[in-house]
Amino acid sequence: MNTVIIINLNGNAFHLEEPGFQSLRAYLERAQVQLRDNPDKTEIMADLEQAIADKCARYLRPHKNVLTAAEIDDVLKEMGPVQTDGATPAGATGGEQPHVGTKSSAGPAPKRLYQIREGAMLSGVCTGIAAYFSIDVTIVRILFVVLTVLTGGLWTLVYIGMMLVVPFANTGEEHAAAAGAPFNAQEVIDQAKKHYAEFKDSKEWRRHWRQQRREWRRRWHEGAYWWGHNLQRNVHQFSTGAGYGGHLGAALLIPFLAVFNALLFCLWIAAIVSLATTGAIFGWVIGGSIPLWVSILILMFIYSVIARPLRHARRAIYFNTNGYNYLWFAAWYEILSTGVLILVCWFAYTHVPQVHDFFQHFVQNWSTMWNNLIDSFRHTVSHKPSDSWLDAKLSGAAAAASTAFLALRR
Amino acid sequence: MPADQKFNPIRKGLLEFLILQIISADKVYVADMMKRLQETDFATQEGTLYPLLSKMRREEFVDYEWQESDSGPPRKYYKLTAKGKSQLAEFKDYWAYLNTTINQLGR
Repeated sequence: MNTVIIINLNGNAFHLEEPGFQSLRAYLERAQVQLRDNPDKTEIMADLEQAIADKCARYLRPHKNVLTAAEIDDVLKEMGPVQTDGATPAGATGGEQPHVGTKSSAGPAPKRLYQIREGAMLSGVCTGIAAYFSIDVTIVRILFVVLTVLTGGLWTLVYIGMMLVVPFANTGEEHAAAAGAPFNAQEVIDQAKKHYAEFKDSKEWRRHWRQQRREWRRRWHEGAYWWGHNLQRNVHQFSTGAGYGGHLGAALLIPFLAVFNALLFCLWIAAIVSLATTGAIFGWVIGGSIPLWVSILILMFIYSVIARPLRHARRAIYFNTNGYNYLWFAAWYEILSTGVLILVCWFAYTHVPQVHDFFQHFVQNWSTMWNNLIDSFRHTVSHKPSDSWLDAKLSGAAAAASTAFLALRR
Repeated sequence: MPADQKFNPIRKGLLEFLILQIISADKVYVADMMKRLQETDFATQEGTLYPLLSKMRREEFVDYEWQESDSGPPRKYYKLTAKGKSQLAEFKDYWAYLNTTINQLGR
């Protein structure tokens, strides 16, 4: 039994077996690449598709409406690789067996570094490197972990950098370039077949990894939501206790949550600012030698762990109001929390001298914070004085950290 | 007939003129051309033929028109343009000249 894919060839529908579909797609992608500079590309592609469709139709009978992978390969062999002017082959030497050039018309195939999503654990950097050097991806992963430990975490920055910079391999040609394989129609077909076989073999592994990841995700959610769920249950009991009373309860809980959340946010921001400017949270010096940037990351993490269940509780209230005034509750919450936020800011600005000072010299303070942060990075990385490449790396790391934080908040 | 691989470039270069010659007789479509070439030393495949024909059409040696067929979709029937005809004549002259040159050199 085989999965069947329905395709459209120049207006004709065909049922293909999955591996056959892969071969055909590889062939057409290759043709696209060959013809990319050809002004008549669309027309030639349509002609080729029509020719393939005609050949495919020969294999169909009233009670056979699926093309097997082998039949597709025969069709493609009959079509021959798409060659343009410079590399038009002489065709057959004997008539029956067409001569297919063994050398790629483009000379030695270019080898490039790509990220390969297939089989990736994070982004595909390791799979890409493994393909580039033709080594096992596990070796690359172990190497990365070892390097991360040896460099005291700095290697993570390299990984993130590669994640952002190295392109993804999307087309068949890019996949071939990633592995440095010569790109030739016949070989593409062979590779597609090989990959499919490997894919089948590795299914067990993939399933294993998927389960593993699901498990991790589940644990994380459980941990983070542990008291969120408790709160949710209590809220649920409270708000559904009695029809009208329940709504009233929810309406009363909303302002409580709004005020609490706004205060928490202010407190968190203030803690970060105070930590970054004075090196201590409201005068409380964090013991040991935890660098500034690590403490800030910890603060971010703590905040997201606390804020998550609160958000959950809020949603629980929204949905326990039978839905019909969901928007009203949401608006009510937003207005309240924004109001509290403004109120707190105003109060702090007028009554707390430190806050007042901070905003009076905001630009200067901001640069102090930033410099402190950079310095803490530098100390972690090396005890040498500043060098400029580090600055670039650090801003990259800061961006990555904030992205991670935003992702966590979601 | 087993032809030497060394002749491949020659066949490659001649293919375009052979197509001109095939089209000169009558309007033909691609499957016809393939069938005719199949019997010769110049058998070729769609993957090669379609890009070549599109190039020849761009250079205005050939042109095509759509014609309904009894079986299947409408087909592109190719025919020679005036420019194509003179190109073919030129080629035939040149081929004859090459022949005499080769034969005379051997003497």
